[in-house]
Amino acid sequence: MENDKQPEEKKIPFSRMIMDDYMLLMFLGVTIYAIFYLLWGVMELSNLPAIPEDIKNALLK
Amino acid sequence: MFRTCDITGFKVDLQSEKLIRYNAVVSVVSLLLAVTAALLLVFTRYQPVHLLNAEWYYRLVTFHGLNALIFWIIFFEIAGLYFGSTVLLNTKFCSPRWGWIAFILMVAGLVMSNVIILMGKADVMLTSYTPLKAHPLYYLGIILFAVGALIAVALFFGNLMIARRDNTYGQSLPLVVYGLMTAAIIAVITLASGAIIYIPTFLWSLGLVQNIDPAMYKLIWWGLGHSSQQINVAAMVSIWYMTSFLTVGGTSINERVSRSAFVLYILFICLASAHHLLTDPGVSSAWKVWNTSYAMYLAVLASMIHAFAVPSSFESAQRRWGYNKGLFQWLSKAPWGNPGFSAIILAIIGFGFIGGTTGVIFGMEQTNIIVHNTIAIPGHFKGTVVIGTTLTFMGITYYLIPLIFRRKIVGFSWAKIQPWLFFIGIALLSISMIVLGQLGVPRRHWDSTFSGGPFTYNFNPAVDFFWALMMLGGVIAFIATLIWILIVVISVFWGPKVNGPQDMQLTISPLAPAAKEHKGYEAPGTLVLTMIFLLVFLALFFLNWKWLAATWNVN
Repeated sequence: MENDKQPEEKKIPFSRMIMDDYMLLMFLGVTIYAIFYLLWGVMELSNLPAIPEDIKNALLK
Repeated sequence: MFRTCDITGFKVDLQSEKLIRYNAVVSVVSLLLAVTAALLLVFTRYQPVHLLNAEWYYRLVTFHGLNALIFWIIFFEIAGLYFGSTVLLNTKFCSPRWGWIAFILMVAGLVMSNVIILMGKADVMLTSYTPLKAHPLYYLGIILFAVGALIAVALFFGNLMIARRDNTYGQSLPLVVYGLMTAAIIAVITLASGAIIYIPTFLWSLGLVQNIDPAMYKLIWWGLGHSSQQINVAAMVSIWYMTSFLTVGGTSINERVSRSAFVLYILFICLASAHHLLTDPGVSSAWKVWNTSYAMYLAVLASMIHAFAVPSSFESAQRRWGYNKGLFQWLSKAPWGNPGFSAIILAIIGFGFIGGTTGVIFGMEQTNIIVHNTIAIPGHFKGTVVIGTTLTFMGITYYLIPLIFRRKIVGFSWAKIQPWLFFIGIALLSISMIVLGQLGVPRRHWDSTFSGGPFTYNFNPAVDFFWALMMLGGVIAFIATLIWILIVVISVFWGPKVNGPQDMQLTISPLAPAAKEHKGYEAPGTLVLTMIFLLVFLALFFLNWKWLAATWNVN
């Protein structure tokens, strides 16, 4: 019986296996968003130079 | 405990059915709150009436935004996720107890946030950009709601696992459930972003955190704010496929391509949140262009695929039923008297022609600058969330009333005209807002005449006409929503019981027969309609570039 099942399972195309694996899709969706939108954006904002103190004080006056 | 539906033949878990009903009822209440505020806002922005004072204007902008964009939509989507993962998969609900915990958390969040807003302690609008600070209970309310929604999404995946274990479906999820699974994954991304930003903001409002960087807040908040609307897109498209099946027995003419389009949504659609930062100086052009163009266009491609696949599924089925004459007999002989059908077709048209075209144009870094922070932006999302998602949810509710609430639709003749009325109202409202924005009218502004201010601005005289048109559209849409709410409430609580297929007022079509022979295109009418859509899109695209050139004369 097991031998009968194996060739059947092999027939499933790789792309369909990926598309049917919703946990993998969730991982990919979260990762792409986290890398390109979130981390890249946070990295750019974190690297902005701080406003010079004298300008800051002048603005806050 | 199950019952077998005598109309569809589905096995319905009674606990799941109860949860679907409760979530759907609260969503309708949220919609009522949202549209009541919307009417007052329309009459305030229309300068000759100018109904509310400034304080109440901003209070109700916050109230409207939260109830319309978050509570109404997400409660309905949770009902949809439970329906898709149990009824459509013929399986049981994995943990009803957690379902109720999620529901109670969400309701507690809704009540807490709304009360705090109406008390005047959270006039921060939906975006609540720091350093604007609301009462801590406002943030806590949203956090409770989000935790509840996240539990509900986890339960959806739990139901899928049970269905897979019990082998209640074949190798792949049915297309409709696949689309709902896409919505659930996007919800995970959305709610995670919400947690990342709302928890520190809550602590900041309590004085436990010193400072929340406004630029950082905006970046992460839009991961919640815009992505939450992408949950709608995936859920809405799933319902479009389901309606094709229910009304004419249609299925996607290429299911694999439709599934691939959903995968593109999962991978790329949330990057579109970057639109909201297109004029922010803190992030680079590379970040903006990548997230709003190269990667995001893959999600646009997905929408284009669905825009063809859904109408073609209707056409293909209708042709197989024998409506084969010419290009459009399939359309003229479609079940227009079925409000479920007409609502969905109108939603597709409105979403594509108004929401979709403006979405791509306003999402480009260059043309975005013409309308950034103008009233055209809420005009755009009236064309997506309202004419698209809300009308779709209204349409499918006409099926939920007999199938889930087991009641007949009361006032069926009113139900037939309601989608048309709503479509006309929102289309007028949305198009007027978009034109007003193109003419420079700002969004979220209590007094756009700047009366009494040091600066004044004379708008193009055409603005007056479009303000009146916007008000007219808003009133029509409000009346149409009230009709829908009355139909739903009266039917659900006092409507005659459905005792079997004989009481079903809407058609549930069998699967369309297989095609006898296949010559040429399977859906030529849809191909023509798609070409018309592309031509309209191209015309608007070049018009906006022309406006941009006229605004900034570069030699």
